[in-house]
Amino acid sequence: MNTMNIKKSSYLLLTLSLVAVLIASIAVAGCIDKGTNTAVATPAPTVPSTVPATVAATQQQTPAPVSTTAPVSSGQQQTISISGSTTVLPIVQAAADKYMAAHPGVNIQVSGGGSGVGIQAIGAKTVDIGMTSAEVTAAQKAQYPSFVITTVAHDGVAVIVNPKNTIQYITFDQLKNIYLGKITKWTEITGAGVPGTNNMIVVVGRDSASGTRTYFDSTVLGTATPINTMLEKNSNGAVSQTVAQTPGAIGYVSIGFLSNDVKAVPIWFNNLKIVAPSISTVVDKSYPFSRDLYLITNGQPTGLTGDFIKYLLSPDGQKIVTEQGYVALTT
Amino acid sequence: MHGRSLKMNGMQRFTPGASCSTAQASLLKEKFIKTIFFCTAFFAIIVITFILLFLLRNGYPIFEQIGVVNFLLGTSWTPTAFVPSYGIFPLIVGTIFVTIGAMVIAVPLSIGCAIYVSELASPRVKKVLKPAIELLAGIPSVVYGFFGLIVLTNFIRISFDIPTGETWLAASILLGIMALPTIISVSEDAISSVPREFKEGSLAIGATRWQTISKVIVPAALSGIAAAIILGIGRAVGETMAVMMVAGNAAIIPNPIWNVLSPIRTLTSTLGIEMGEVPVGSLHYNALFGVAIVLLVITLIVNLSAVAILRHLHERGMRRQKRMPLITLERKESLKRFAEVSGLAVVMAALLIFTPWWCPVLFLLAGVMWFYGREQLSQKHIEKLAFTLIIGAAVIVIAILFIILQDIVIHGLPAISWEFLTQSPSDLGRAGGIFPAIVGTLYLVTGAILIALPLGVGAAIYLVEYTREGRITRLIRTGVDLLNGTPSIVFGLFGFAFIVLFLGVGVSLIAGQVTLSLMVLPTVIRTTEESLKNVPQSLREGSLALGATKWQTIRRVVLPPAVPGIVTGAILSIGRAAGETAPIMFTAVIFSSRFLPNSLFQPVMALPFHLYILATAIPGSSVNKYGTALVLLILVIAFYSVAIVVRNHFQNKIRG
Repeated sequence: MNTMNIKKSSYLLLTLSLVAVLIASIAVAGCIDKGTNTAVATPAPTVPSTVPATVAATQQQTPAPVSTTAPVSSGQQQTISISGSTTVLPIVQAAADKYMAAHPGVNIQVSGGGSGVGIQAIGAKTVDIGMTSAEVTAAQKAQYPSFVITTVAHDGVAVIVNPKNTIQYITFDQLKNIYLGKITKWTEITGAGVPGTNNMIVVVGRDSASGTRTYFDSTVLGTATPINTMLEKNSNGAVSQTVAQTPGAIGYVSIGFLSNDVKAVPIWFNNLKIVAPSISTVVDKSYPFSRDLYLITNGQPTGLTGDFIKYLLSPDGQKIVTEQGYVALTT
Repeated sequence: MHGRSLKMNGMQRFTPGASCSTAQASLLKEKFIKTIFFCTAFFAIIVITFILLFLLRNGYPIFEQIGVVNFLLGTSWTPTAFVPSYGIFPLIVGTIFVTIGAMVIAVPLSIGCAIYVSELASPRVKKVLKPAIELLAGIPSVVYGFFGLIVLTNFIRISFDIPTGETWLAASILLGIMALPTIISVSEDAISSVPREFKEGSLAIGATRWQTISKVIVPAALSGIAAAIILGIGRAVGETMAVMMVAGNAAIIPNPIWNVLSPIRTLTSTLGIEMGEVPVGSLHYNALFGVAIVLLVITLIVNLSAVAILRHLHERGMRRQKRMPLITLERKESLKRFAEVSGLAVVMAALLIFTPWWCPVLFLLAGVMWFYGREQLSQKHIEKLAFTLIIGAAVIVIAILFIILQDIVIHGLPAISWEFLTQSPSDLGRAGGIFPAIVGTLYLVTGAILIALPLGVGAAIYLVEYTREGRITRLIRTGVDLLNGTPSIVFGLFGFAFIVLFLGVGVSLIAGQVTLSLMVLPTVIRTTEESLKNVPQSLREGSLALGATKWQTIRRVVLPPAVPGIVTGAILSIGRAAGETAPIMFTAVIFSSRFLPNSLFQPVMALPFHLYILATAIPGSSVNKYGTALVLLILVIAFYSVAIVVRNHFQNKIRG
């Protein structure tokens, strides 16, 4: 009898504690959720209609100093989601940060994945905007006729190596042969080499969803496929991180991802001249590995989606493009 | 006497006419309740059938167009090339090789550790060691992958002087570590359940402790150990995130074939990498489903053989007098010799390839000395040697746990601040906090457990209380086993293709919750079943004999003592769901979001995914990624420790 009582009491205690934990976690989440929401988006959607007009007016006037055409009323929390190319990601994320700072009720959700993911997601309508650094092919346009494509920036594709590499420049053919696996040692390239290692080249590339890879493969390799020992990374950041950590590595990233951790290699294009990738060489077209970056919407962008794209194309938005290391449209 | 009892009967029958209808009502209620439980149990079957059919339907075109042989044995996987080819042979080889490598590392360590825990350790050491090993099981796979990416690959690159550390070896080491807890705990159970008389008998006739262990206890527990290893293999085959982060993902067969320093790609990481980008309905899409089917078949074979061995073991325990050894004695001898010779050859080959010349020579010398010297060695010395090795294994396991934890804690602590825990991320997660990710994870697991718990407990009650063993229960149980062995990435694939795209729900909280709940459902069913079975049959009989109805018996007598077990299972499921990345990667998460979702149909941020992206795609986020890893680790370990405490509390209570 005694043991039964103990069991019963502990049973009660347990159920209670489990329920308490669950409720607590929901409540905490919910409370803080409400807290943040109310903190930024002051009048909740359930503002009663009896609120004096003046109060409503002041509340609507306080935010939105940037864009007067903003269709975003301060009261409502609006959400759009964006996913796709990791090349476009930093621009959109920085722009979203700025835009959200100006519009407290707006929530712009951003994800990477690659250009293929962006096109697939906007095609399947799981997001509001798809980002891509690869041109939308005719077949894709035919499959998704509702696509509206907006160019938001120019970009260059830079070839990068580890800073320890002594390489000065690389020819177009050498680059091609490295990615085809015909050149496997840095010593086969004039001036190149990684002191203290066996000089083996580690070929780093992007996954098949990448617009940067599509661009690189078609420009450098033509219809050939890169060597199958290539390490496939799922983002520009991952390529640059791997190259930064791996002395013998070579990779390619958007110029927006150049940093002091990696060394951008100037390219000798068909015996013409040696050009280093930079914003200015992309602008004056002397560096030919360049392309456009796009946002895709289903139909003409309207509402918050339209306003956000408009913001990106505005001088303020294009300033973000330059800040992030890409080439703005106007220049 | 006789007349009196008749009278009593009569009186009862005549008292209020209402009792008749209440009886009928309660009968109806009983039936109704039984139907509900049947429905929940049947749901498991429907789900598993549906997942299988869905995979088959979507994967079929690739087999039809490419041909089974070309698909399975083709050596080139380039689905997005100019001329795409869909041969998954390198991926299958990758999966098998990585798993073999993992077992080479995990099996000796974990069996040594299991022997130590069950036979050598003092009760006090045991009390610390067992939870520590369970902790190792609680570390989420993305944290392992993160550790592997940052620390292990670098270590391998430098120590072997190779261009990149992202290799087969790295993946195998990581998977080996991840399989350790599974193998240790299951084989420790097997060793502990060897009858005491065996040990006592052996010691009584003058055998040393090591002789007892090696000649009596381990052979008696062999089937259990085999099952443990197979379960470990199942874990390794189905793992996605950790492998994806450290294996290099080049779809090649290592050249030469034993080159453990070559990059490699598995079936799971192929799904993880390519699932998000693939256009629905394309041949590539079908090929990925084909990959999932192959993966499922491999894990099914592995898990079903483990289940079969365990069942065999169980039946053997039931009728011990008729022991049927799985392997006959002569075959065991020849198997043993074969294993010894081939093992030696593999070790020699490995040493020849990877180490300077003096290593194999030394090894050979030691071998020769052992061969001629073992007659001279006294049993005492052998025992000492063996125990040193066993203790060494246990020490290595603890050291691994310590290294991983200290790395993450030391680097992660500086990141933790009030702002980090309560703010939204900015600058791609390099700055700001992870608040939406923490809450998103809580939302996901809460939803998953709210779906899985009623269904799982209901199914288990039906299986244990309402049925006798028969065709239907066997069907349901097989279904649960299948669901249990399914790799989490396959759930992710199903959730993405069916819930997100086909049903048009979109990437959303609810899609992630449903996917996660499917994943934890078998755990809930299993643990509930176990704890229901542990309730003595006599209690039920007593209750029924007193006139209680079936439902009253279940609710008042059977469930209360089973609750601790059920709660433990539920908490373990919560921990597992909180740490999983693969199922939510394509169904529920978004990388950065400012607010929490305000409906079930919005995507959320989640800790494991946030960590994955920070670790692989955002350079210069080292403080925040360690911080995220630490928070995730603390969260998951907290769930696990609660489960362990609850279980121990009640074990002690039952014993006391």
